[in-house]
Amino acid sequence: MYYDNKRLALSIFWTILGITLIILSFTEVLQSSLYGGMGGGLTVVGVFQIIRNLRYRKDAEYKEKIDTEASDERNSFLRMKSWSWAGYITVLVEAIGAVIAMIRGQETIQMVLSFSVALIVFVYWLMYMILSRKY
Amino acid sequence: MKNRIEEIRNAKGIRQDELAKLMGVSRQTISSLENGRYNPSIMLAYKISRYFGMTIEEVFIFDEEE
Repeated sequence: MYYDNKRLALSIFWTILGITLIILSFTEVLQSSLYGGMGGGLTVVGVFQIIRNLRYRKDAEYKEKIDTEASDERNSFLRMKSWSWAGYITVLVEAIGAVIAMIRGQETIQMVLSFSVALIVFVYWLMYMILSRKY
Repeated sequence: MKNRIEEIRNAKGIRQDELAKLMGVSRQTISSLENGRYNPSIMLAYKISRYFGMTIEEVFIFDEEE
């Protein structure tokens, strides 16, 4: 069962949080327009997920489709592969960006990108250590 | 790894979506298996072979050169 009560509760939480942020932004309790945008995004995602969740509970065919997609091993393989490529590409782009920033003398950008690369490499190493104990 | 899924499936008169439903995977997974683009887990290979009433070696052909 993919869309369980936990996922529904989480969707409701995102929706409420989103609406709260929109209200606080419109009433100018929160000054930055960023919060309004963030609230809008959260509300849309939350409502969309609630609709999917309710459809999942009523429509048996849709439920079967979602459950199959969630447990399908090729889908899992593709998700893992995509994350792996996303990680490689991000590290590469950030590393190149850091070198370019260093050449151009943009110290802050260079530092942020370098730290980001270091963080990703550290998390990778940490996960490798944890997973190698598990498997 | 090569396999005989398409050949055996056609001989048994089963559609891709029917086999997918029986195996609990998507139709695209069966299609990718048949085209040799995706190699199944040992569990899926076992399930498919068992469904066809064959051994894994009869359905999946291991090529050492690959």
